[in-house]
Amino acid sequence: MSAALPGNAMGSDAFSGCHPAVNFVFFLGAIGFGVVILHPAYLLAGAVGAAAYYLLLHGKKGWKMIFGLFPLFLVLTAINPLLNTQGQTIFFRVFGRPYTAEALLYGAMIAGIFVVTLLWFGCYHAVMTSDKFTSLFGNWALSLMLVMVLRLIPNLLRKARQIAGARRSVGRGAGEQNGNREKLTEGMTVLSVLISWALEGGVGTADSMRSRGYGVAKRTSFQIYRMTPLDRGLLAVILFLAAAVLATAITGGASAVFIPAFSIAPISGLHALGFAAYCCYLLIPTVLHIKEAIQWSISRSRI
Amino acid sequence: MEHFEIQNLTFSYPTAKGKPSLQNINLTIGQGEYVVLCGKSGSGKTTLLRHLKPVLTPHGKRSGEIRFLGTPIEAVNQRDQAAKIGFVMQNPDDQIVTDKVWHELAFGLESLGCDQKTMRARVAEMACYFGIQDWFHREVAELSGGQKQLLNLASIMAMRPEVLILDEPTSQLDPIAASDFLNTVRKINAELGTTVVITEHRLEDIFPYADHAVVMDGGRVIADDMPHKIGKLLHEQRNDMFAAMPTPVRVFYEAGGEGKCPLTVRDGRNWLNSIFPEAPRVSALPAQLPDEEVKDPALSLKELWFRYEKDSPDILRGVSAQIPRGSLYAVVGGNGAGKSTVLKNICGICRPYRGKIKVFGKPIEKYKSAELFRNCLAMLPQDPKSLFVKKTVREELEEMSRDTGKIQETAELCQITPLLDSHPYDLSGGEQQRAALAKVLLTEPKLLLLDEPTKGIDSFFKETFAAILSQLKNRGVTIVMVSHDVEFCARYADLVSMFFDGQILTTDTPRRFFSANSFYTTAANRMSRCVFQNAVTAEDVVGLCRQNMEG
Repeated sequence: MSAALPGNAMGSDAFSGCHPAVNFVFFLGAIGFGVVILHPAYLLAGAVGAAAYYLLLHGKKGWKMIFGLFPLFLVLTAINPLLNTQGQTIFFRVFGRPYTAEALLYGAMIAGIFVVTLLWFGCYHAVMTSDKFTSLFGNWALSLMLVMVLRLIPNLLRKARQIAGARRSVGRGAGEQNGNREKLTEGMTVLSVLISWALEGGVGTADSMRSRGYGVAKRTSFQIYRMTPLDRGLLAVILFLAAAVLATAITGGASAVFIPAFSIAPISGLHALGFAAYCCYLLIPTVLHIKEAIQWSISRSRI
Repeated sequence: MEHFEIQNLTFSYPTAKGKPSLQNINLTIGQGEYVVLCGKSGSGKTTLLRHLKPVLTPHGKRSGEIRFLGTPIEAVNQRDQAAKIGFVMQNPDDQIVTDKVWHELAFGLESLGCDQKTMRARVAEMACYFGIQDWFHREVAELSGGQKQLLNLASIMAMRPEVLILDEPTSQLDPIAASDFLNTVRKINAELGTTVVITEHRLEDIFPYADHAVVMDGGRVIADDMPHKIGKLLHEQRNDMFAAMPTPVRVFYEAGGEGKCPLTVRDGRNWLNSIFPEAPRVSALPAQLPDEEVKDPALSLKELWFRYEKDSPDILRGVSAQIPRGSLYAVVGGNGAGKSTVLKNICGICRPYRGKIKVFGKPIEKYKSAELFRNCLAMLPQDPKSLFVKKTVREELEEMSRDTGKIQETAELCQITPLLDSHPYDLSGGEQQRAALAKVLLTEPKLLLLDEPTKGIDSFFKETFAAILSQLKNRGVTIVMVSHDVEFCARYADLVSMFFDGQILTTDTPRRFFSANSFYTTAANRMSRCVFQNAVTAEDVVGLCRQNMEG
């Protein structure tokens, strides 16, 4: 594994410790397949994979999110038939418009994809920290700018709080008793100071950059993450499984049509292997995490 | 070969209308030397330092010559001057470019286009040398000011400079972090032979170790000599800069000492022992006891408990204090101990979850916000810049009051009348401090809270500031000050409290307070305690010396 193990809610996570390229390719596949493939079995697999990894990353707080997504899922599902009236099996009519089983199921698929994508992004956010992203695409001038912007935003927020505090302690600034108008003027005042503050700081930063040779030679970028043999192996496995899923999808093994009538590709024969590949793919981070946890508990029990 | 040779350097800024910022500077800085540049704010120190690194050199009219290792400095190529001349600036935050510690360390090397292997080795080496390993993967935003400045130094050292130029690097740091930082700089000079050119207000930590000290005044070099000879020169000239000299130097010359001037507390102590081989006739100064009970206090704090978040540890753990009217009350204590939090609680930015705050006998909850901040209470924040929101100092003051007479009077009191039309950001640290104070004073507070008012201010401005405070005190204003500046508190405060572990532990008059401590006390006290009692400022020691010598 590479040098850095970024912290998350549950402490160390094996997959987060892998090379950023491995992380990035995995999420690209997981989210990409998740959005493109419209097949109930694949969706279910995606939901299980995403939820399992999300829970491992976020611990108890993860349950809160997952339970929070349920109502969203139900509402999105229920809304679709109201907008989309196509389909053969009519449950009942709303203001004369048919409410159909096909549209309901289609809505469930779309809502499911939405929810699963949200979960994957939750995982992505915890695993792909900003420095990992920039180290992957580090040779662009844009990446340094991104890093600087990422630093600027929290800095400005902190300064805004500082200014607001300073103004309140001399009896200026917006308090509870002020009207909206005062609050707005006050907000504008703070904003304009922040801009001059940022500009002034920017001059210092520019000096510091130039005095450390910025623009003297073609920039290289320091790679803190090292690609280990394990990372390479994992990347190969990910790409192989992804290719299998892709082949299945292209040959129609993962296609499903809901409207106007159900037509869902059966999971059988070679296509079953494709589905198995997808399941394996999605479980990679979870399996890695559990494997490491088991290894640790074994080595600890030996002490 | 000499590192820098400066000949007849004269420079004026385009806006200065012919008044030069540097005049006929002649200076030689040899390889491996440790050179201290001192002078009042605005004496041209920063301008001179920036001339030693071409990319930072300001625009303007210039004559004379600067040579770097024999070549005219303009002819040194970009790469060499980036790598060989390191420059550390004042503000730790602004100098940092990236968001991660490791990335910042590598920034200079990335710019020079180093390959992975070299970068890895250099970054690892620097992280070890500066003790950064433990926070190597951290976000820059999580670091303390001292750590940030150390990171700036390390990221410059990773490029292996031959010369290190530091422009007031510790002005934003607390004394302990500052002392750590300066020790690291000394270590670099001693162990690596890197030439160091540094400007500093805090001369006590660097003066004794410097090879030579250069004193600037009004854009000229007025003295350039070994540190132990500088004091004599300044004393003879009655120069304002004499006040910035380390305590032993000041005591030595003021008391009319002869021979080699002591630079450290240890040498000062030996010198005192040598002139008073037997116990002196007058060996103690009278020390007033604080009043047992404060009647009708301006501010009373009773058992304040406070934490920032529900699950975070308590910052204040039962703070109690009675602050008498019309006094200057100082709270000293370690960094991050929660001293500033006490002030935030008093002025209502934070609310304690237990305890009582009474301002002039009335509980703080009973005040309406408008009532509390008009003619009653005001706070000067740690960073005076956070109070400035307008384009000129005059507009700043007009924001607080419409009464022009009052504005004039306050500006006069704070000695900022000539600065009224400047942009607040263009002022020096000491001037900003006074402009911010003027703004705060326009609310006509009877209780003034000051958060680290002497941070980043030179000794000359400190005296001006103290004079303003004493005028306010004469008008009956009560001042509560939180500070790291032990010397300032010893000299000007009426009462000093020690803040530790979320509580105010002891409160006493400065003489009793500091002479009871043996570490957390002033240099004058540490130096003189072998001979005298209760002497806590240089003036105390000088007075006692004179009394005994005359008799």
